[in-house]
Amino acid sequence: MPHKWGMAVDLDRCTGCGACVTACHAENNIPTVGPAQAARGRAMHWLRVERYWEGDFPDVRLTFRPVMCQHCDAAPCEPVCPTYASHHTDEGLNAQVYNRCIGTRYCANACPYSVRFFDFFNPQWPKPLHLQLNPDVSVREVGVMEKCTFCVQRIRAVEIDAKAEKRELKDGDVKPACVQGCSARALVFGDLNDPESEVSRLSRSPRGSKLLEDVGTLPKVTYLERQTQV
Amino acid sequence: MSEASARKLGDDLLRPLLRTSWRFYALVAFLGSIVLTGLCTWAYQVYNGFGITGINNPIFWAFYITNFVFWIGISHAGTLISAILRLVNAGWRRPVTRCAEVITVFALMIGALFPIIHLGRPWLFFWLIPYPSNRQIWPNFRSPLVWDFFAINTYLTGSVLFLVLPMIPDFALVRDKATGVRQKVYAALALGWQGTPKQWHRLESAMSIMAIAIIPVAVSVHTIVSFDFSMAPVPMWHSTMFGPYFVAGAIFSGIAGLIVAMAALRKFLHLEEYLHPVHFQNLGKLLLLMSLLWSYFVFAERLTIWYGNESSEVAVLNVTQKGSFAPLYWTMVVCNFVVPFFIMSIKRLRTIAGCVIASFCVLIGMWLERFLIVVPSLGHKYLPYAWGTYRPRPVEIIITMSTFAAMTLLYTLFSKFVPIISIWEMKAGEHPSPALFPAATREHALGETHA
Amino acid sequence: MSAVYALYPDGESAQRAVNGLRAAGFSTGAITVISGEPLEDHEFFDVNKSTWMWYIASAGGFIGLASAAWLTRMTEVAWPLRTGNMPIVAWWPNMIVMFELTMLGGIVAAVVTMFVTAGLPRRRPALYDPEIMDGKILVGVDNPPDAAVVERALTVPGATIKRT
Repeated sequence: MPHKWGMAVDLDRCTGCGACVTACHAENNIPTVGPAQAARGRAMHWLRVERYWEGDFPDVRLTFRPVMCQHCDAAPCEPVCPTYASHHTDEGLNAQVYNRCIGTRYCANACPYSVRFFDFFNPQWPKPLHLQLNPDVSVREVGVMEKCTFCVQRIRAVEIDAKAEKRELKDGDVKPACVQGCSARALVFGDLNDPESEVSRLSRSPRGSKLLEDVGTLPKVTYLERQTQV
Repeated sequence: MSEASARKLGDDLLRPLLRTSWRFYALVAFLGSIVLTGLCTWAYQVYNGFGITGINNPIFWAFYITNFVFWIGISHAGTLISAILRLVNAGWRRPVTRCAEVITVFALMIGALFPIIHLGRPWLFFWLIPYPSNRQIWPNFRSPLVWDFFAINTYLTGSVLFLVLPMIPDFALVRDKATGVRQKVYAALALGWQGTPKQWHRLESAMSIMAIAIIPVAVSVHTIVSFDFSMAPVPMWHSTMFGPYFVAGAIFSGIAGLIVAMAALRKFLHLEEYLHPVHFQNLGKLLLLMSLLWSYFVFAERLTIWYGNESSEVAVLNVTQKGSFAPLYWTMVVCNFVVPFFIMSIKRLRTIAGCVIASFCVLIGMWLERFLIVVPSLGHKYLPYAWGTYRPRPVEIIITMSTFAAMTLLYTLFSKFVPIISIWEMKAGEHPSPALFPAATREHALGETHA
Repeated sequence: MSAVYALYPDGESAQRAVNGLRAAGFSTGAITVISGEPLEDHEFFDVNKSTWMWYIASAGGFIGLASAAWLTRMTEVAWPLRTGNMPIVAWWPNMIVMFELTMLGGIVAAVVTMFVTAGLPRRRPALYDPEIMDGKILVGVDNPPDAAVVERALTVPGATIKRT
């Protein structure tokens, strides 16, 4: 049975520190656009921490929700792409082929989670950040869409290693950058087809819910609701 | 028809082809320079990337898609209306059909350019075309953009043929009337047309087949344009009524465009004897009908959403009716409903000037309508954290303006090189002898000159 | 190549000339009538009216339909990529492409039929006179066996007889 990669986000554990966002930027060669462009809505965070204030002062509560591509099983972004740049892989990933993208930006409009990003300019990195680019991830040119891949390069690397060593993948072998960077261990990644994996267990939790479930996208990220009051 | 009136018809309608004033060159130079500016601006945008436009995350579609929908809508003036009038054999159509069909062809060409202008990597636009490439991957037929490609191509091919076929006998006329280089060029264009009964019959059969085929195609084109929106789960886009709503809006703006074009032709080419007030009156009544139909659709859409009370949709509803887009929204209501309704429903105001004023309002209103469909929805999708707003940048404004200049330029050039009123159809319209036709049908033969 | 023809100011006199030629033994196919406009209410205009164009257009539409069905299905199967939980061969969207190509096939077939059966394009008209465009109607015979017979038949009040 092929893998079906998924994620669980424990909102009780999330402190909103943003380490996952930084790790994602570093791992995936995501350019920073600078304050002027960010103010114009050009910021690119494949993973963002949404911050909401709930209630009226002084009874307010601050909540965080890390939102990345939900790798939906019925992804609205996929069928609208005229060139198959956005499509579904056998392992359930919502893949984006940069070279095939012609930049219609239709996928970004169709995405209910607004987690697809457009390269408004050719990417640039302020020195010395250009020396730390990840060689495993291609740099996207101007005019294409990009988004969270669940760190597909890491998944592939682990799968290839496991195949070379002729062993099965264990739960926890694959860790996307955000999962690795989360010190509170709020993010859990794994195979949803393995009923014993931690992510499967958490996905079955009564605290679990999907983001915008009523849109019918069948997302593969489960959010575990907050129970503590801070 | 009599020889004298045939000669007069030929002289009147060929005058723009055979004589050119300095004003024509001035107009072409003026419009041409605007179009050139637009092309340079596009090149600048391709070179610098989309960062210089106003689009942002989450408003990935804005002016260019608005223009796309607007121009495809304008294209519904011509071929569709002309085909319907041909099928019902409305006599007053004769001076109107060609100047309407030209609008279709040029508006489609301009409209079809916008999906390419708006591409992030426009040099790869041909990946939409199904051809056996070395990548061995074909277009995704599940994508509404590929449907667009097929629909627009079918409509453009059909409209060009629908326009060009009845031009052949008129080219033959110019061939026989002109001299020198003109004669050679038009002789080539006339394809050796003679005018035997067989040729006339074949031409008319082909025209009726195409008229029947082009009506569903025209409906499908704007339905598919609406599918670009309604296939995406975006608040207020994901609607079952978008197809007919867009088609109604397209015909509405198309008639407005046709009225403006006809008024300009009448004034500048001195076609007062051919384009009568009654033509404007009839089209004005159609404009009124479409205005009411459009308003009905908008009311039905908004009422349903208001009662549905689905939070994401209500957010979009509110931002257009009471929020930051309200000034544009209420301008649209005035332009598309209030003004045309009052001007067109009062007979005394349904003059040529009244029709033109109403039509200008409708053109503005319908452009705003498309803008208000595209932008507020994208700015207010489900997660409020990712909401955004949009302001156009100079590049987008210049390119938008230059397409209006391009339309005027193409129309001007066309009316310089082709008789803008189908001469043989005018002759045929005058033809039925009073003896054969009772007075009641005779009245409709040309379009009566009295109001 | 020679021809004898005459120009008539109106349909009635042209009709009389056609009747005269028929009486002189010319078949309808041998008589050439040319007008600057369709003259629906005259008998001589009623020739060659039947056409297969409607059937050919339908056949063209069917070819468009079949090729669209083939194109969409073949390409989807050739490199099956899953998108949005839809089947690989998704007939709902394919039907849209099939509709458009059906219409395109019909239109193109009708236009091609029109060009072929109307004898267009051709280099130069065999029998023609520029005065037709001023409202005259031409009636004539190409390569007549006896020009005098034709001339006699064409002589109707208002006629201008010409020879080439």
